[in-house]
Amino acid sequence: MASKRDAQAMDCLDNSQKRIVVTGVGVICSAGLSADRFWQSLNEHHQPDAGSAADPAMPTTFTGSIDDFGDLPKDKRKAIRKALKLMNRETQMGVAAGQQALSDSDVLGHYESERFGVCFGADNVSVMPEDFVHGIQACSGPDGRFEEERWGTDGLSGIAPLWLLKCLPNMPTCYLAILNDLQGPSNTITQRDVSANMSIAEACRGIRSGSTDAALVGATGTTLATFNLMHAQIENEVSGVGDVCRPFDRNRTGSAPGEGAGALVLEELNAAVARGAHIYGEILGAGSASAVGHGPVDGRRKALSRAMRQALSRAGQLPHSIGHIHAHGLGTRDSDIAESLAIRDVFGETASEIPVVAAKSHVANAAAGAGALELIASLLALQHGHLFPVRHFNDADPDCAIRPVTRHDEGAGTSFLNLNMFGRGLASCVAIGAVPA
Amino acid sequence: MTRRIVVTGMGCVTPIGNSILELQSGLYSGRIGVGHLSLFDASSFPVQIAAEVRDWDMSTCGEDPRRWASTPRQTQFAIGAGLEAARHAGLNDWRGDAERFGVYLGCGEPFEDFQTFVRTVHDSLESGDCEADSFLQNALKVFNPKTECEFEPDMPGIHLAAMLGAEGPVANCIAACVSSTQAIGEAARMIAQNETDVMLCGGAHSTIHPFGFTGFQRLSALSTHNDDPESAVRPFDADRDGFVIGEGAGMFIIEELEHALARGAEILGEISGYGSSQDAYRVTDSHPEGRGTAAAISQALASAKMNPDDIHYINAHGTGTVLNDRVETLAIKQAFGQQAFRVPVSSTKAMLGHATTACGAIEFAVSLISLQTDVIPPTLNHDTPDSDCDLDYVPHTPRELSCRHILTNNIGFGGQNAALIVSRYDDRSPAHVAPGWAA
Repeated sequence: MASKRDAQAMDCLDNSQKRIVVTGVGVICSAGLSADRFWQSLNEHHQPDAGSAADPAMPTTFTGSIDDFGDLPKDKRKAIRKALKLMNRETQMGVAAGQQALSDSDVLGHYESERFGVCFGADNVSVMPEDFVHGIQACSGPDGRFEEERWGTDGLSGIAPLWLLKCLPNMPTCYLAILNDLQGPSNTITQRDVSANMSIAEACRGIRSGSTDAALVGATGTTLATFNLMHAQIENEVSGVGDVCRPFDRNRTGSAPGEGAGALVLEELNAAVARGAHIYGEILGAGSASAVGHGPVDGRRKALSRAMRQALSRAGQLPHSIGHIHAHGLGTRDSDIAESLAIRDVFGETASEIPVVAAKSHVANAAAGAGALELIASLLALQHGHLFPVRHFNDADPDCAIRPVTRHDEGAGTSFLNLNMFGRGLASCVAIGAVPA
Repeated sequence: MTRRIVVTGMGCVTPIGNSILELQSGLYSGRIGVGHLSLFDASSFPVQIAAEVRDWDMSTCGEDPRRWASTPRQTQFAIGAGLEAARHAGLNDWRGDAERFGVYLGCGEPFEDFQTFVRTVHDSLESGDCEADSFLQNALKVFNPKTECEFEPDMPGIHLAAMLGAEGPVANCIAACVSSTQAIGEAARMIAQNETDVMLCGGAHSTIHPFGFTGFQRLSALSTHNDDPESAVRPFDADRDGFVIGEGAGMFIIEELEHALARGAEILGEISGYGSSQDAYRVTDSHPEGRGTAAAISQALASAKMNPDDIHYINAHGTGTVLNDRVETLAIKQAFGQQAFRVPVSSTKAMLGHATTACGAIEFAVSLISLQTDVIPPTLNHDTPDSDCDLDYVPHTPRELSCRHILTNNIGFGGQNAALIVSRYDDRSPAHVAPGWAA
């Protein structure tokens, strides 16, 4: 139920407020290197889950070679191939997804460069050991001991001159801007698993304010790189090798490490219609909130219910009008219970009816990138008119009183909420609606 | 409906002062924070100077140093500056709507302990390669999980949200050296679009560690004036040879005007313009004609509905690298036209060093101090004119100047640019509120 303040916020919405739509998507994930392949994978009919180690989703088949970037104009292919060695893996995935989205929307050339922005979400970048091998070898003494006092003289020269740039999380954003001459506002949100929805919300603020006309948004991330995995293990239970992600299932074993990137093109509805663009859906509203220090369940619950209420209010939607929810669905006990409670807080009794999907059960946890992949999965569901099951969901956790989807033929409705959460008590939400042709 | 955004609190930790008052005193007494590096043994490195925060102790901000002992320096600076800003704004005992109070910071990448990292790589070498699994297993043994979780760029914001009771959006952005400038601009936009009423914004960073020195030295970006650290950073000077790594934090409480007035807060200035852009040229170099920088400055002016002659002072990025200072000068000329030769421009990095992602926030504090004191800070070490840098750089000594509007500009690796305009608050003037602020 909307609070009094939410009602005030709704009153402030101007009827002439710009409507912002998604006109292109791009995907790099463990289920495939395109949005089509992702959708196919979400809808594959799997054998009933036996809890086997048959599906360690985890790493993508993305090799980082230029062939994984899809069909590109010759000059762009050449520029990307040249830059590949300077990009870390998350940057490569982000750039590949971004190029797919731009190509899918066929948007380049329709807006002034100065009014086309980029806003991506990204994780902190792990320092990669392989980048230091030559430097360390140069400092090895005759007995094989590492002589640290020689680092500044002998070790430095073993480090690539542009190594530092590989460690910057803003590189996906920057490369996408450079490769495509996108000279508008450019930012990278590094707020871990809630980054994707926040990057979309920020780009929408820019378009609504009139400072941009279009934006390339999305997120890229990993929980596979050493320090990212270590940090994921500190924040949440991470399942063992071969275990899978089982959101809302009482036999869950934790989150499954993974990686991936998703990208979307945003532009104003009228302009998109005028240029004949395909419209995947409309960004109806967004919200984000925090409740740090309130505990792993209460903090997440409070933050998420607020973020959902904000998004619904700004979207001018009531909970019962929402077609489905794309859950964060991390597959840890605290996160699943907090998320279920938050959904019940906002949806009340209808929480038992509204279908809930969770793509992490298919493609594991790509950290910042997951939020974008999940939003795209639900956009594709709107397109196809049906949802996909929460994979590995066999035995409902009685503490999660929501309705995870178990079939392939359930309707997607005409709108959804995309939920992002982070264990410290942070949440973000985007409300999306279908746009009738 | 337009919502004006005002600054009601500020705090900082810098190499020339660990509070706003100390920063102010340092700026006008010509204190230089650049000196010989003391935070680690850099005797084998070609560059051995830095602008370090001196004598920082968490008890200064009322915190138990033991609680923060294993956090990165930038987190400690963020907490110190953030608490100072909140105190300054009178928010310590504020009991307003927590959901309308958010945090948006531009804190940089914290790096793990260098010594532990390189030793772990060394111990994981097999036949000349570092196997990922072997490294992971060794790393899990030597890195302490309890302290390791602090090495994420969003941890300062998460801590501050909890300490100040902010329960609105919490975000961190990284956009190289414009991170904290953008954090302030985007936080202001959240208020303008009625998502929040109050935001803690700014940034903190320290790259004074062997990873940072390794990276910046390999990029050939640093001054090598080891023998004379105080003259090392020479913004817009013919003999400039690079920047000096600095560290620190700048934090602000910004809020919607009516909200600030209703609670009787002192108004330190108004955020009246913001611009952000991309060179879309190269990840390593700025566009040679400064097109992105000029665009960000022009956007800031347009969003504030101002002309170049409305701006009384520009606090420049002014790193002291050959390329930055030339390109920034060109960009100011592009955006300001002939007025570029009349508006004073200075860089405070000769004093403060380059606090990377935090520099924009610290320089925003410098701009607010200039508004309040009617004195603008000088560009120190600007001794020899350079034909490529032909503006009024306020050399050597502070200048008395009553400013109404100040523009602060930053430029970052990857082609990132951002500019903010801060104005003296005038309750009689119609809101020069950006179309960019209002939805």
